[in-house]
Amino acid sequence: MKVFLKNEDLKKLLARFVQEGRLFAPVRRCGYSGWDRVSSVDEVVLSREQAILQGEEVNTREPAKIFVFPRSETLFEFEGEEAVETGEIPELVVFGLRPCDGRAMAFLERFFVGNGPEDPRVRQRREKVTLIGVACNSPADSCFCTAVGGGPHENKGLDVLLREVAGGFLGEAVTSKGEELLTGFPEATAQQDAEAEKLKANAEATLALKIDLNRLKAALDNGFASPIWERLTLECVNCGACTFLCPTCHCFDVFDETVRGRKRRSRIWDSCQFTLYSQHASGHNPRLNPAARYRNRVMDKFKYTVDMLGEVSCVGCGRCVRVCPAGIDIRVAVAEILKEAAQDGR
Amino acid sequence: MGGNPYQPLPVRIERVTVENEARDLKSFDLRFVNQGERERWQFLPGQFAFLSIAGVGEAPFGIASAPDEELLKFTVKRVGAFTTALHEMEEGAIIGLRGPFGSAYPWTLMQGRDVLIVSGGFSFTTLRAVIVHILKKENRPNYGRLVVVYGARTPGELLYKEELRAWKTNPELELVLCADRVCGGELFGFEGANQGEGKDAVQEGLVPEILKGVKIEADKAVALVCGPPIMLRFTHPVLKEMGFKPEQVFLSLENRMKCGIGKCGHCNIGPKYVCKDGPVFCYEELLRLPEDY
Repeated sequence: MKVFLKNEDLKKLLARFVQEGRLFAPVRRCGYSGWDRVSSVDEVVLSREQAILQGEEVNTREPAKIFVFPRSETLFEFEGEEAVETGEIPELVVFGLRPCDGRAMAFLERFFVGNGPEDPRVRQRREKVTLIGVACNSPADSCFCTAVGGGPHENKGLDVLLREVAGGFLGEAVTSKGEELLTGFPEATAQQDAEAEKLKANAEATLALKIDLNRLKAALDNGFASPIWERLTLECVNCGACTFLCPTCHCFDVFDETVRGRKRRSRIWDSCQFTLYSQHASGHNPRLNPAARYRNRVMDKFKYTVDMLGEVSCVGCGRCVRVCPAGIDIRVAVAEILKEAAQDGR
Repeated sequence: MGGNPYQPLPVRIERVTVENEARDLKSFDLRFVNQGERERWQFLPGQFAFLSIAGVGEAPFGIASAPDEELLKFTVKRVGAFTTALHEMEEGAIIGLRGPFGSAYPWTLMQGRDVLIVSGGFSFTTLRAVIVHILKKENRPNYGRLVVVYGARTPGELLYKEELRAWKTNPELELVLCADRVCGGELFGFEGANQGEGKDAVQEGLVPEILKGVKIEADKAVALVCGPPIMLRFTHPVLKEMGFKPEQVFLSLENRMKCGIGKCGHCNIGPKYVCKDGPVFCYEELLRLPEDY
């Protein structure tokens, strides 16, 4: 069932979570939209569409994956040599993530939890967070969710999807957690539904890029030895920004630290774009140059996770396109790979 | 395994053995601090585990002991911060253990077949576990010939010297030892290549060269191969020459890894993770994967 939340109603709903100290939303404190704990509901940008008109970015700089897979976290502490659980995982509500990030959450959940031995911390974090997504009515130039199987109004991976219409939001529960949240709101009218559908069609119309994912997979199946990787990465500075800001990148390093006399084991995001990432203890390194490392990233998004889990792991959020200091564009990489395969008659 | 897969179990170092002339390889025999955990800790040779030191870190190592041995054995080369810290630990110290992880050697396929082991350098660890496991009286009838070619740079660099000497005279296996240079072998109880009677105690030569002299019916056998990339490169053609098909050759890989459960990303070879899909791979499968290892 679709319900309608007037702007004031949504504000009231969010204010409850603010009061409990557990609402996170995009805030402008750092000069761009970054995630932070909201201390007053007035900080929350309810209408992202209006904010965009005022020059605000379409999406947060940092992906919403930080709520299930934070930049760094303590896995456990030591008491002598015994490992002991630490750090109660808090219940959070996240407002304002985009459908691309929702889709990425679904991927991460599948990768970390539904794929062999589970990662208990990611599972617990996902269980304890409520994800209230907001659909995109005005995607950015660098967005391409529809080219990789998603959409600006998609609800996958979210608990609730909100779609902005005149005077408020159309609310759609995706999970039972979402249903609970939306209980008591009036049913949306047919006109409101039609308006949302029209906005969705308009948004989709601005997302022009099409990628034949099957052809791309076939091209990559045979593309490991291609000279194209060298050419695509001539400008790469090995900064790793594309991976750190990617909503589906999941790599981490594990390390020990001692804080105020307590020893603990922690993990921190790592990146396959770094030389040391793949260096063996013997010194041997299978991915010595940026070409080999970038190839691993592109292959992972469009081939390896397809082989592994049957799905592409690029959600088309466009962050890597926007943040790369060298202007490397994954859409260009994909186009070049397809072009090369076509030329070779593959 | 159960519980949190990142948390190690406490184990006590019962025995430390310096294994080689360069003194950078030590074996650690470990006992679980909490009785009962040993029974739950079931594994097969080929699998690996992480050793952990609180406040220092952890790293993965192949399990060098056989499933029925009381103590767990790990042989560790001193190369970085963690292994240096481990090398400094003495008998009685408590460290952490987590695992077992990964795939084992193809024990089902090996049933009733001859087993050829080819190993170079300190990769011999999990293959020691294979040998001890097969030599166990109850297990021995389940396998055909056990042929082992094991080489190192010098005789002093060979691991498990006492066992090697015992195996030399054990009719249950055929052991060929070799070294790039055999000079000085007698210091370690081995006879060099030029000493008449015991001529074959440690032959001089590289593993692939020595392997050429081994007679084995390939179609009845399985080959387990472990060693540095350069040895592997020259060993594959010899095995092919001997009649081994890629489906009959198994290798154990050692990519950098952090988690052991296919999450941290580091050890991927294309869409496979060495920690989860390996470390033991069939050569036939490796040929289909990108050369990313």
